[in-house]
This record gives sequence, structure tokens and C-alpha cells, in this order.
Amino acid sequence: MWKKIKISGGIILTAALLLILFIPSSKDYNDGKIHIRYWYVTGAKEQIPYHIKKFNEIQDSIVVEPTPLPWNEHEKKILTSILSEDPPDVINLVTPVAKWASRMALTPLNDLLKKDLFDSSIFFQALWKEMNWQNRIFALPLYSNSYAFFYNKRLLREAGLNPENPPSSWEEVKKYAKILTQKNVQNHFKQMGFIPQYGNLQTSILMAWQLGAKFLINNGTEVDLENYQMVRALKWEVEYFNDYPLNEVSSFMAGFGFADQHGFISEKVAMMVLDNTFIDQIKLYNPNLEYGVSVIPTFDGYKTASSSGSWWVAIPRGSKNIEAAWEFIKFSVKEETQLEESASQQEILFPANQFAANNSSFNKGNEKIKTLVDMMEYAHSPTIIPLAHDIFWREFLGARERALHKIQKPEVALKQAEGIIQNQLNQAIEYDSYVRSKMNFETISN
Amino acid sequence: MKKRKTNQITRKHAFTGYLFASPWIVGFLIFGLYPIGISFYYSLCQYDILRIPQFIGLRNYEQLLFIDDYFWGSIWNTLFYTGLRVPLCIIGSLLLAVLVNNAIKGVKIFRTIFFIPSIVTGVVLSALWLWILNPQYGLINSFLAYLGIQGPLWLLDADWSKPSMVLMSLWSIGGGRMLVFLAALQGIPQHLYEVVELDGGGWWAKFRNVTIPMISPVIFLWTILEVIFSLQVFIEAYVMTKGGPLNSTLFYNLYLYNRAFEDFDMGYASALAWLLLLITLGITALQFKLSKKWVHY
Repeated sequence: MWKKIKISGGIILTAALLLILFIPSSKDYNDGKIHIRYWYVTGAKEQIPYHIKKFNEIQDSIVVEPTPLPWNEHEKKILTSILSEDPPDVINLVTPVAKWASRMALTPLNDLLKKDLFDSSIFFQALWKEMNWQNRIFALPLYSNSYAFFYNKRLLREAGLNPENPPSSWEEVKKYAKILTQKNVQNHFKQMGFIPQYGNLQTSILMAWQLGAKFLINNGTEVDLENYQMVRALKWEVEYFNDYPLNEVSSFMAGFGFADQHGFISEKVAMMVLDNTFIDQIKLYNPNLEYGVSVIPTFDGYKTASSSGSWWVAIPRGSKNIEAAWEFIKFSVKEETQLEESASQQEILFPANQFAANNSSFNKGNEKIKTLVDMMEYAHSPTIIPLAHDIFWREFLGARERALHKIQKPEVALKQAEGIIQNQLNQAIEYDSYVRSKMNFETISN
Repeated sequence: MKKRKTNQITRKHAFTGYLFASPWIVGFLIFGLYPIGISFYYSLCQYDILRIPQFIGLRNYEQLLFIDDYFWGSIWNTLFYTGLRVPLCIIGSLLLAVLVNNAIKGVKIFRTIFFIPSIVTGVVLSALWLWILNPQYGLINSFLAYLGIQGPLWLLDADWSKPSMVLMSLWSIGGGRMLVFLAALQGIPQHLYEVVELDGGGWWAKFRNVTIPMISPVIFLWTILEVIFSLQVFIEAYVMTKGGPLNSTLFYNLYLYNRAFEDFDMGYASALAWLLLLITLGITALQFKLSKKWVHY
């Protein structure tokens, strides 16, 4: 009896273990084609991107198996797949390339680029720079976001300002904002001209770029957040709130949300730096909004600056179909593919391929889109300190908050943040050199 | 001879028992004990998940204890939240349990009504309270404005953000905690109350001298559990404030999460997790020590 129990128990356990160990990680296809797995981030599960459908249509030898990933969990899912050594063959991400490349999570593409004499000048330069980590290319940019200055023509006109002449300098923005700001009978804001900290793009970082700030010096080993350009920009932002009590502005902003509750779309904020997606959002949620799009204002005597926001495609470490994955990636960034993809979408999908972006079939003569395309020339990468990207932004926002609340002077707040980022960068550099001394980087990456 | 046979049978029974328990044992060893052990090792390393760990000794702990202001800030925020929330939750649940313990008509409906809010999940609750606490259009400030009072900025004000989150957590005082208190209240023998009545005691004397001592083990249990839950507060801050304003809601677990899943700094995050374990153990041990003075078994 006991023997039977022992034997059957043993068999069950062994079978369970074998099952765990030998569960096939991917499907077996017997169609003679190479099947590559593509994980992309999306909000709409049922929509398969055009470039996947088209590639599968025209290909005889490669089939792309797409898997949409939800917005909130995509990084962790990709991370786990790489760690389990069973990653997809192609991934699509929006976070800094350097964050993944520096951790040896991506396959360098240099040999493939060289073999195919790939012309990198097809991309906007700001986007191409983002694909580089330590002189190697780890991804190709697929789409981007481009930013420009959006202003409400009706509100400008009603305030007695020329709606065809938006502000071109930050001093003008200040003046316009004062005229455009209105309060209700309870003395609360009911409309504001401009709110520097509202929106995805940080006005003071934008200003620092315009003034020529360099945040990483000494061959990438020293953080310089408390540079005079950044201090000047943050001081501008602090002084801006001398005219508007910060608590009241916070209270006013608490009424904003997404879609038709967005400050600009609901016509509560007259001027903002926004990205291309707002052209579609305005069309959808407030089609009667009368607005213009112009170059982002700058300081007198300085060139404007903007930010890029790149969606990229890459081959993760451990992919078993590198050549096939590369064919698919190359196809995805071609001018024709990007143009057809844009045409297939209801909303504006901003191509990373600059020839596609400048093609008249993309901008359709729309001056607003043309301005957004032109702004890409002035775009900077939001990956400012690649090895301490998230800490940089967290610390910068913390420093700005302390300065705006007058808890610290701008230079003191920035200096404090700089120290923390520097500490993190030092540790990251030390760890990087340790890893390089212990692991065969070429083997791992290839 | 008989003893040897008994031992043999006991061993066989034990073996069968372990065999049946083996799925759990294997699961615990692989998914429980191993991660716990390895996280301690990682806490002594610089480790970003994707590359090999670098052993750095106690540097993570040194940095946390002596350099990192966020660590101490997050401890203060978490202890403030715990210190304010736990007594309010326990007292609130107990009072509700006392209320629904009365044999009035329709009391079961009241119990259900009080219980319903507690089944709302954390993310939904946070989204709902974001609107309730909205300084411009929120329910609370609109009501205060109706009374002629200008409400605070709630989650947008560093002084009000933590009390706002405590207020929000009171939403679920009618949940499982209230039910357990109710069960404990119903288990108190009636003759004890009759004794107080014979001595001329009123409702307060009954509550203080009978109810509280009789349900003190349940109060103690919930105090320990609530302290542990509160020390792990995360979802509310993650959904509603991301730690702001001015890091006033940067709770311990949110900071740990940021270090682990935004910065991929698993070594540092592991050290944070181990320190949280020590803090929780310390507070629980203190509670057990103090319990001798007020818990009656």
C-alpha cells in the first residue's frame, strides 16, 4: 500500500517537474516560415498596427506575430521576458534607449546597419542621437512626438490681442498671460494665460536648453544641474508666480483632467506648449476651438528649443531571429511604410522618418502640422542623464517644486538635486565598469 | 516489537502527510523562501536585474541610514499615516460594530450598507476620492463652500495630503474589521452586563469594564494587522499623488517601488525591504510587550 503511494507520488512529482522544465516556450510552426514575435505597447488591443499587417502581406518567408502590451505594465513584461531568456524578437518602447542599452538588454545593430549600408539620415537627428549608447546603435526610431506653442485665438482676440501674432519671447508670454488671466467673483481663477508647470514639457528645462545648458559634462561623468542657464530659467519660473499665488493656481489646475477637461481644450488656459497629439484631441473634444500653432517662444537673441519623444523598435538580448527581426524593423521605418501607416490612422502618427514627415501627403498643407515638423529641428532628447534618467527627472521636479514653494532658492534646490543625481551616476558608472570587467559584453550583447 | 511497529506506522503517516503537503512545500521553497533569501543577498549588492550583481557589503544600508533623506522622509510619512490611521480605524470600526450590534429592526440592512464600501478596490477608491477631494469641484469643498468655508487644497497641500489619505482610508471601517468586532461583541456573556447593572453602572461602565476587556484580544489582533497594513500603504499614493506634493506622501513602499521598478535598483530596494521588515518586527514586538498591560485573555 505504502509502496504504491510512494511510487505514484514520485511519478506525479517527477511528471510535474518535467512539465515545468520542458513546457515549450513558443509555438511550433510547420509552414517553413520564420515566425518572429513582436511586442508593442498600445492602448487599443484590437488594433494591429499597419506596418505589421503590411509586412505580413508582402512577405513570403517571415511572419510577424504581434502581441499588444498594456501601457502600465509593458516595461516589467519585457524585462521579465529578457531575464527568462525567452524574449520576443522585436520590442517597441518609449522609454530612453540608453536605459535598456546600458543594461545590456538590447542587441547592438551596428553590424546589421553596416551590412545593409543603412542611411541614418532618414531620421530626425534628435531621434537618431537617442538610439546611440556608447557609440553603438541599439534601436531605430519609429514614431515621435513633436512640441510647439499652441494658443487660443478667440481668447487672444477677446483680450484685445492680435490673434495672428502670438508671443515669440518668454517676456511676451508673461505680458500676454497677464492680460489673458481672469478671475471670477469669488476672486478665484477662471481663466489663465499660461501656466509654466502645466503640460508634459517642463518649461524651465526647455528654457535652459534654449540658453545652451549642458547638464552632463566631463565626458559624461559629471552632472551640472546648477548651471547658470538652468538657474536663470528656474528663477524666471519662480518670478512668474509672483503675479499668481501658487496655491490658487494649484486649486485652479485641480479642475483639469484629460480629453475635454484638459486646460487648453476646455479653453481655461490660453497658451501652452503641447505635442502633435493635441491636434487630434482638439478635433475630437472641442472641434470649434479656434487656435494657432507657432514656434516655441525663447529668450531674446537665442534660438528656440524643443523636445523629442521617441517610440523606438529594437531587438532584445536573447532574440533567436535577429536577421528576420532586422528585416521587419527596416521595413517599419521606411518612408512609404510610415506614410501609409499615417494615412491608415484617424489620428496623426508623427513619423520618425523625416522624409515621411516632410512629405505633403503627411502634412496635407496643414500649417499647424508643418510647424510641428519644423520644430523637430530644434528638438533635444529628454534623456538628459542616461545612467540616472528617472532619478534626474524626479530630482529636477523636486527641486523645481521646492523653488516654486520658496522653500529653497533655485540655485540651492538645484544644487541639492545635483548632489543626489551625481551620487547615483557615480554608483552607476562604478557598477558599469564592474559588470564590464566580469561579463563578456560582446557575447552578452550579441 | 509493538513500539517499533507504531513508529513505522507513524513514519509512514508522516511521509504521506509530507507527500500531500509537497506541492505547498515545493511552492514555498521556490516562490517564498528562495526570494526572501536572495533578496537579502541582493540587499548587499548593486544589482539592476539585467546584469550580474556586484557585492558591495553594507553600502546600501549605510546610504539609507546616513545619507538618504528620502528614506527618513518616507519613514516619517509612513509613521504619521500609521499613527493617525490605526486608532481612527479601530475606534471607528468598533463604534460601528456597537451600533449594528443593537437588536433594532432592519439592522442586517445597516450591516450590509456599512460593509459595501469596503469591497471597492484600492485603485477605484483612489480615483473616486481624487474627485471627492478635488479642491475646486470636489464633494467636500463644495459642501464647505455652501457653508461659507473655503476648503483646503487636500491632496495638493503638503500639510493636508497625509490627513486626506487617512480620511480616505476610513471609507472601509465598516468592512471585515467591523464584522469581527461584531462577532466578538456578540460573544460577550450577558450576565456580565447584568452584574454591572446590579452594581448601578450605566452604559459607559458596561462599555469600559465589560465590553473593552472582553474584546481586547480582538482589538489587539486588529491593531497588529492594521499597523502592518498601514506600514505597507502604497496604492493610494501611487495612484493619487505619486509621492507629492513636496514628497509629503512619499510613503515607504512607494519609495521602495520607485527604486525597484523605475530605477531598476534592486539592491537598494531589497535593502529598503529588509529594513521595513525590521521596523515592522520592532513595532509588533513592542505591541506584544505593551499588550500585557491591557489585553485580557
